[in-house]
Amino acid sequence: MTKSYDAIIIGGGIIGTATGYYLSKQGLTVLLLEKDYLTAGSTGRCITGIRQQFSTPATIKTAMRSVALFSRMEEELGRDVEWTNSGYIFLAHDEQKVETFKKTVALQKQFGLDVDYLSAEECKKIVPMLNIDGLLGGTWCPSDGQASPFFVVQAYAENMVKNGCEIIRGDEVTGITVKSGRVESVTTASGAVYGAPMIVNAAGPWAREVGRMAGVELEVEPERHEALITEGVAYMNIPMLVDYRKEGGYFVQRTTGQFIGCYTPEHQVKGRDTGSTLEFIAEMARRMCRLIPALEDVAILRQWSGSYSMTPDGSPIVDETSVAGFFCSVGMSGHGFMLGPALGESLAGYMVNKTWPFDMSEFAFGRSFGAKEDLA
Amino acid sequence: MSDKDIIICRCEDVTQAEVEAAIDGGITDPEELKRFLNVGLGPCQGRTCGRLVLQILARKTGKPVSEIRATKTRPPLVSVPIKEFIGSDDD
Ligand SMILES: Cc1cc2nc3c(=O)[nH]c(=O)nc-3n(C[C@H](O)[C@H](O)[C@H](O)COP(=O)(O)OP(=O)(O)OC[C@H]3O[C@@H](n4cnc5c(N)ncnc54)[C@H](O)[C@@H]3O)c2cc1C
Ligand code: FES
Repeated sequence: MTKSYDAIIIGGGIIGTATGYYLSKQGLTVLLLEKDYLTAGSTGRCITGIRQQFSTPATIKTAMRSVALFSRMEEELGRDVEWTNSGYIFLAHDEQKVETFKKTVALQKQFGLDVDYLSAEECKKIVPMLNIDGLLGGTWCPSDGQASPFFVVQAYAENMVKNGCEIIRGDEVTGITVKSGRVESVTTASGAVYGAPMIVNAAGPWAREVGRMAGVELEVEPERHEALITEGVAYMNIPMLVDYRKEGGYFVQRTTGQFIGCYTPEHQVKGRDTGSTLEFIAEMARRMCRLIPALEDVAILRQWSGSYSMTPDGSPIVDETSVAGFFCSVGMSGHGFMLGPALGESLAGYMVNKTWPFDMSEFAFGRSFGAKEDLA
Repeated sequence: MSDKDIIICRCEDVTQAEVEAAIDGGITDPEELKRFLNVGLGPCQGRTCGRLVLQILARKTGKPVSEIRATKTRPPLVSVPIKEFIGSDDD
């Protein structure tokens, strides 16, 4: 006989585990299926950043809600997830960025975000080690922060199981059965069949393939992003620095004293390749030292890469699809970790009560894709 | 000496008891153990502890070490100061 659940989640990254946890909190029986191990996808490759500085209402509100959830995660989930308000500074090195930042700060303030536009000298006061050559100004949000993606996923997974749900690792969903326009069950590589009236596609870079199993086309395209981490050194009080110049990048000092960072490659490398290049490590080293010259003696420990899952407008798709009972929470770009808790909570709420906490039509399935987010 | 006192990963201070508790909690993939315990992510990159973790996994799961996939090794193989990467360039 087919084992049945209230909901099945495909994918054990931040999105799958957060959605699973918030569904379990509402008393649903959930099965989460992960083809590999938890955090095997993009989540285990992210650089831990959590910010609220975005340029569209639903993204700002979602990110602010996530920060609220991260701040009380230890209390709610019983595990220290290394959450810290270490802040984010977006750096403006040209007039156009100054304009954009002033505009986005005004919008963010409307939602009550503690963000300010600062002069270069004021940025230097916050980060004394910052090289401000060519810097015109920056935006500073002290309540942005960082957390460990591994501990967050672990915390959600443990609590889901504690609430009576199941997680199966190492079994891939290979088919989704749809009857009369409604999902019915999934089939896995091991030959198992599990039934549920609601199925969530949280497959990250594999979202398109999983969508197609139910006959749903999702415009999500994976793209390779490389990253590195250094050894731990004395705390230098460096928040996440976002440098949008052509030879820019983003990096932060972790609570472990390590520096972790990445940059957006000039030429996109499409696909799910997770190889790493010598070019990246050399470039990233140079870019980090350009902003914080004191880093030149710090040793690089490891480099790796992972996928950003891109939609045409850079915002995620979080909604029920054209197949009844088939939901998706995909296309997280470079923000899935930080948006994950709040998106998990909202989607779980929608699945149970058919209401969103606020207008989330920016993330609707089937929307026409307009312009890209300003602070992509 | 209890398992709580046996250090498996010196760099990241992970004990045998912690590794065993994680395995009992359902984490039986060395990649997942590495991420959840930081075991093998220290400056020696798991050179000291990698084998010990595999042995504990083998004992607890009854699988021979040869059937457990070893964790992926990421470059650089030894840690390198940042200035080594930037000195050579002429920009
Ligand atoms: C270098 C880099 C840096 C980043 N930095 C940040 C950052 O600082 N902050 C931030 O918020 N975001 C960051 N991101 C983005 C973030 O990592 C992703 O947006 C996020 O992890 C996406 O989570 P997810 O759960 O959607 O996908 P994933 O973590 O990829 O999870 C999907 C899971 O589904 C599983 N799966 C796929 N197909 C199937 C199937 N058929 N059956 C069963 N299981 C399946 C996969 O194995 C995978 O584990 C970064 C990404 C990269 C690559
Ligand atoms: S002993 Fe485990 S990483 Fe060095």
